[in-house]
Amino acid sequence: MTEASSPALETRGLCKNFGALEVAREVNFRLERGARHALIGPNGAGKTTFINLLTGVLLPSRGNILLDGEDVTSLAQATRVKRGIARTFQINQLFRGLTVQENVCIAVAERLGVGGSMLRPAGKRADVIEEASRLIEMLKLGGDAGRRIIELPYGRQRLVEIAIALGLSPRALLLDEPAAGIPSAESHILLDAIATLPKDIAVLIIEHDMDLVFRFAERITVLVSGAIFAEGTPSEIAANREVRSVYLGTALDG
Amino acid sequence: MASFTAAEQLARRHRFQWWETLPWIAALAAFFAFPNYLAFGTQVLITILFALSVDLVLGYAGIVTLGHAAFFGAGAYTVGMLASHFGWTEPLSGLLAAALVAGAVGLVSGLVLLRTTGLTLLMLTLCTMTLLEQAANMGAAWTGGFDGIPGLSFGKILGLFSFDVLYFRSQYLYVLTVLLICFLIARTLIYSSFGQSLTGVRENLLRMHAVGAPVRARLVIAYAISAALAGVAGGLFTQATGFVNLAVLGLERAAGVLIVLILGGYGRLYGAFVGAVAYMVLEHFLAKAYPTAWQLGIGIVLVVVALYARNGILGLAETLRGKRRQRSAS
Repeated sequence: MTEASSPALETRGLCKNFGALEVAREVNFRLERGARHALIGPNGAGKTTFINLLTGVLLPSRGNILLDGEDVTSLAQATRVKRGIARTFQINQLFRGLTVQENVCIAVAERLGVGGSMLRPAGKRADVIEEASRLIEMLKLGGDAGRRIIELPYGRQRLVEIAIALGLSPRALLLDEPAAGIPSAESHILLDAIATLPKDIAVLIIEHDMDLVFRFAERITVLVSGAIFAEGTPSEIAANREVRSVYLGTALDG
Repeated sequence: MASFTAAEQLARRHRFQWWETLPWIAALAAFFAFPNYLAFGTQVLITILFALSVDLVLGYAGIVTLGHAAFFGAGAYTVGMLASHFGWTEPLSGLLAAALVAGAVGLVSGLVLLRTTGLTLLMLTLCTMTLLEQAANMGAAWTGGFDGIPGLSFGKILGLFSFDVLYFRSQYLYVLTVLLICFLIARTLIYSSFGQSLTGVRENLLRMHAVGAPVRARLVIAYAISAALAGVAGGLFTQATGFVNLAVLGLERAAGVLIVLILGGYGRLYGAFVGAVAYMVLEHFLAKAYPTAWQLGIGIVLVVVALYARNGILGLAETLRGKRRQRSAS
């Protein structure tokens, strides 16, 4: 069963090929419990593929994925969600014609296992609605709860992505470029939201915005061409000459 | 409305509104106002039920189907064959059998079909219907083949109420009652958490997978329930007309019901009602006025709806109401 020392999420020798193209190469990765971990790397390094492997959208060619020490490599996406892996998408994947409240309610209903219930009106599920409202308030979306997604500015929509993921009550939360597409003037709202996430959730963030990464992360993994290139604390990564040459460039010199 | 929070609105959404009695009042009013049109009225009610079943999959779950007449036909033939071969003429139990058979066909075909989406799915629904149509054509010993089964008569409802092809009044009220029951089932489903998850599938399949929903199981269940409701509509058709033939399984019926939904507005529960009445009344009077060219009229109406009222008559009404509210607010 669950070992006390096992990380929230772990991969062992994870490989994925698309034909001759290796998009994940022998990835040994640990996301500790309650971690604030960032995954960075140049475009095409395989960051989103890695998330797709973790969540079960893609099946690995070789290797294992462990959630709380238990092997989930062969489990379906829906089962992994039930076990506690939730994600957001790089490009919003929301129920665009529905309200914010409905969006979050759908996720909460699935987590509580009532999504298939046919007789009782969804409106009578006070537990679902209240939990959704709590998350909506937490992400400061209260004023928009009754508005449909298509009526919201993109930055607000990004917050709904996070609200939905939190509605699944995850143990490991994977954020795929949460700040992508948000004007920098608004990204502090998102940062605040991420900063207030419950401490028991392990968070893995993929992000290109280095300010955000270095403010958020306690640990950083650099992925290059599908393989782990370097890993360490933010200061170690910032000081790593090789990382700077392949990825960070001169951005940190100034 | 605006004084409620989003959570309160969601909690109230499933409650009955006063205007939801209107279709039923109208149906009863039509019963008294047009005693000479009751057979026609019965056909309208059956079309409403059929359209309602399609709305469940098309409008709510987003399953594009061009072959829903397969289930209408399965129900129609079930009732027809039970009556002609087994003397099983009690109407209500006949409908139950129609629902079970059509639902089973929906379940089995859904398990295979709903692995696909889009154009492939559309073609496969069409294939299912064509296969059934050919089966009905070839199994002449059971189905009467091309000629179908004519001259059917049915017993009393629950052994109490006389019911026959010529009892227009009792037929109309019988069909209206069955429609009401089926409508309440559909309405309950749509406002349930299950119904909400179907709209989730329609709005974003990828996200629905990512929140851990068993998407395909939900779709197959919705498809089977919709098929059962379509089967009831088909069973009513056989009982009301006293015959069944290959037309119940045809593309014309499958396409016609889509036109009804597009006209009325899909994904709106009441679109089936508005669309069926609009389509059939229009068809009736156009066919009377221009016996050779009435389809031209339907075509023109469809073009206008497609260009100016994408969400059908109900969608148009919603837009107008929204505009009026904006004006009165400013």
